[in-house]
Amino acid sequence: MIPVRFMGFYIFTYICVAVFLLAVVYRIYRQLRFPLHVRWEIYPVRHEKAARSAYGGSYMEETDWWKFPYETSSANELKYMAPEILLLRGLRKENKRLWLISFPFHLGLYLMLATVVLLLMDTALTLWAPSLSAEGGMLRIGLGGVTVACGWIGLVAGLAGSLGLLYRRLSDREFRLYATPADYFNIVLIMAFFLCAVLAAAFADPSFDAARAYLAGLLTAGTFAPGYEPGQSIPGAATILLASLLAAYIPLTHMSHMFMKYFLYHQVKWDDRPSSPGNAIETAVSKNLNYRPNWSAKHIGADGDKSWKEIASSTPKDTK
Amino acid sequence: MKTLLKPADISMNADCLCPIEPGELAPLPPPYEDFNESIPTPLKPEKIKNIEASLDDTVAIGIPKPASREEEEALVRQFLSGLKKLFEKENNWTFLQPLTLSMEHCARCQTCSDACPAYEMSGRQEIYRPIFRSEVLRRIYKKYLRAGGKITARLTGDIDLNWTTIARLAELSYRCTLCRRCATVCPIGVDNGLITHEIRKLFSQEMGIAPKEIHDRGTLQHLKVGSTTGMTPAAAKDCAEFIQEEMEEITGYKVDIPWDVEGADILLLHNAGEMLAWPENVGAFAIIFQAAGLSWTMSSEAAGYDAVNYGLWYDDVQFARVAVKHADIARRLKVEKIVIGECGHAHKALTVIADRLLTGDLNVPRESALVTLESIVRSGRLKFDPRKNDFPVTLHDPCNVVRAMGIVEPQRRILRKIAPRFREMTPHGVENYCCGGGSGFAIMSGYNFTDWRNLVSSRKKFMQILNAFENERQDTPKYVCAPCSNCKGTIRDLIHYYDAEERSRLYYGGLVELMVNALDGMKKSMIRFGEKPSWE
Repeated sequence: MIPVRFMGFYIFTYICVAVFLLAVVYRIYRQLRFPLHVRWEIYPVRHEKAARSAYGGSYMEETDWWKFPYETSSANELKYMAPEILLLRGLRKENKRLWLISFPFHLGLYLMLATVVLLLMDTALTLWAPSLSAEGGMLRIGLGGVTVACGWIGLVAGLAGSLGLLYRRLSDREFRLYATPADYFNIVLIMAFFLCAVLAAAFADPSFDAARAYLAGLLTAGTFAPGYEPGQSIPGAATILLASLLAAYIPLTHMSHMFMKYFLYHQVKWDDRPSSPGNAIETAVSKNLNYRPNWSAKHIGADGDKSWKEIASSTPKDTK
Repeated sequence: MKTLLKPADISMNADCLCPIEPGELAPLPPPYEDFNESIPTPLKPEKIKNIEASLDDTVAIGIPKPASREEEEALVRQFLSGLKKLFEKENNWTFLQPLTLSMEHCARCQTCSDACPAYEMSGRQEIYRPIFRSEVLRRIYKKYLRAGGKITARLTGDIDLNWTTIARLAELSYRCTLCRRCATVCPIGVDNGLITHEIRKLFSQEMGIAPKEIHDRGTLQHLKVGSTTGMTPAAAKDCAEFIQEEMEEITGYKVDIPWDVEGADILLLHNAGEMLAWPENVGAFAIIFQAAGLSWTMSSEAAGYDAVNYGLWYDDVQFARVAVKHADIARRLKVEKIVIGECGHAHKALTVIADRLLTGDLNVPRESALVTLESIVRSGRLKFDPRKNDFPVTLHDPCNVVRAMGIVEPQRRILRKIAPRFREMTPHGVENYCCGGGSGFAIMSGYNFTDWRNLVSSRKKFMQILNAFENERQDTPKYVCAPCSNCKGTIRDLIHYYDAEERSRLYYGGLVELMVNALDGMKKSMIRFGEKPSWE
């Protein structure tokens, strides 16, 4: 059992995880609740089939395209998305100078996530399937090795990347002109996390055993023994606090693009689904046309009572 | 050295926030170096005495200055009311989700900046940077419409909101061609072109502020008279009669433009500007469609002979009204499909955007003329002799056809068949550069805006065209194929402005004219370099 004086760390992490989950769920829920918007795709649309996906063509290149079923290729989409997510391919192509620091930064964050997942797996095995993860067993050694590699590469890459981004934001005129105090805060917060984690790992926890123990404590509400006592090293305690804080903070900021990019791509940039008689799109559009706008310009002729459908079928009486 | 402008500086008290100085624009290659010191013609003080002109020594809208402090304050309140409506589903279901996503996720990584031809060619004037205007809107929204915004503004980016901010933002929304090249390269998927589009909507739909050419003489005239050119149905038919005579003279056989044929397979929608400025394009379509034996018609009903939809650029309601008119005409004619002629924005407007507006029997299928033309070429029904097009040809990709619709290859497959000296621009296809006349710029000519377009927004395209023909002799006539009316108009103005017919023997035209030029059995060439057509 973890001493009561350390329970504050666990409680703080629980709260942060709860904020993270609530924020993510809220953001996604909000996207799902938006009314269907008009099409605004931009080519290349990566789920296009066959050769068209290579040059950015669309199904509208076919004569009488509406006579054919609307089909997409998940394989083409995956072929594009995997390197885009993992290697930031788009940024590499369009902004190589930034990619050189942004890629290690993102790689650091990805590998931190991977490390947490691996540690959780290891802990879960220890707790609930000890026979599979016996001390000295292949699984334990393998998992431990991968965790250490992931953790260290992630920490070094993340620290280098965040230092690079901070330097760029401070030194580059075009970044500085648009940077707000919040932008500096964000990058310093992430950099501080990586710095503390590197110090904690280097001087106290090179194999991430303490991190594993802390996660075990989290999974068992502090009843797992031997549990990690967060106060035993200052960088270790700071790492726990900062990591928890980051988990809660990221989904509240523009940095939520880490997962919201899905909507930017799939529901806007690549949303080329055509409307056809009786399909779900047409149903949603019919519903939208019943909204009652109240734009004030006189040529609109909106009074809050007339629907979009009525207004779109009318001719403006006023010019302004 | 110029002062480095930040988004918050938009509210700064200055006669001109960001003038373009001689020598700042990206340099042009020989023999055009003499334009390198050019700037837009200075505005005469008496002409701008009563209008807002403090952004960049250029005026696109000409917003009257408020007469009093009270009027200024009322306009600021109106602006905020419109901004709020942009984020309400009742008012802006059309773009609410894309707008919210783009407003909330920009990382200010500046990847978009290098993709923007206006920003690059202007000599990197800060105000033309794609995120400049987005950031202004974002800060106003956060500070003035979000709970606690005035307190958190110090952290998230402060900005002052006054009439100067608003008037400059309105003008600034007409310094972007909405080509959306910036959106293509954004690693996150943020769309600064969309934010600009929404700013324009706010001004039009809430405050009644829009350039005269696209509102008063644009959508309003379109809906009232029948065409943005001011052409009535009777005038359109007269025009077509004249075109028929001209085409008969060229082709040697009688061309018949069918009107209001109920039950025809195709309703062909042209940009009515073609009938007046480039009647040969309308005639060439008639020749090809007739020779291929297609069942087609044009409509003489008001709005039915003009495919344009300027609402696409600035006003969703005006957009919807025009789109509904087009679809309703097609529905009543009982055609199988609408084919949209060589007009880029009409392509996107009716085929893509209106797809989520037209329901039931208004949802008449729509197809690009480039696709229809390719199917004619592929069918082998017509014989072409590519030797007749034995001159250098390059292809301009209209953003609305290519980047916004993914119609990339049909026009190229045609050119490969009929133009043996066809070569691509660099870059091309979905990575193309805008002609500089997108989003209404091609038809906006008030004050000194035409100068700005020729010098700044079209500059990149001009350089691309010169580059495509760099290995050709100066005295060889060269053809820029631009299958879009607005792009064609912009390229026409570019050639004239830079004296490029004289200096580089540059000519321009559509795709279908090249097809007719190569068609077997024509009495005369349709493309005659340097000869004035009979209608000029």
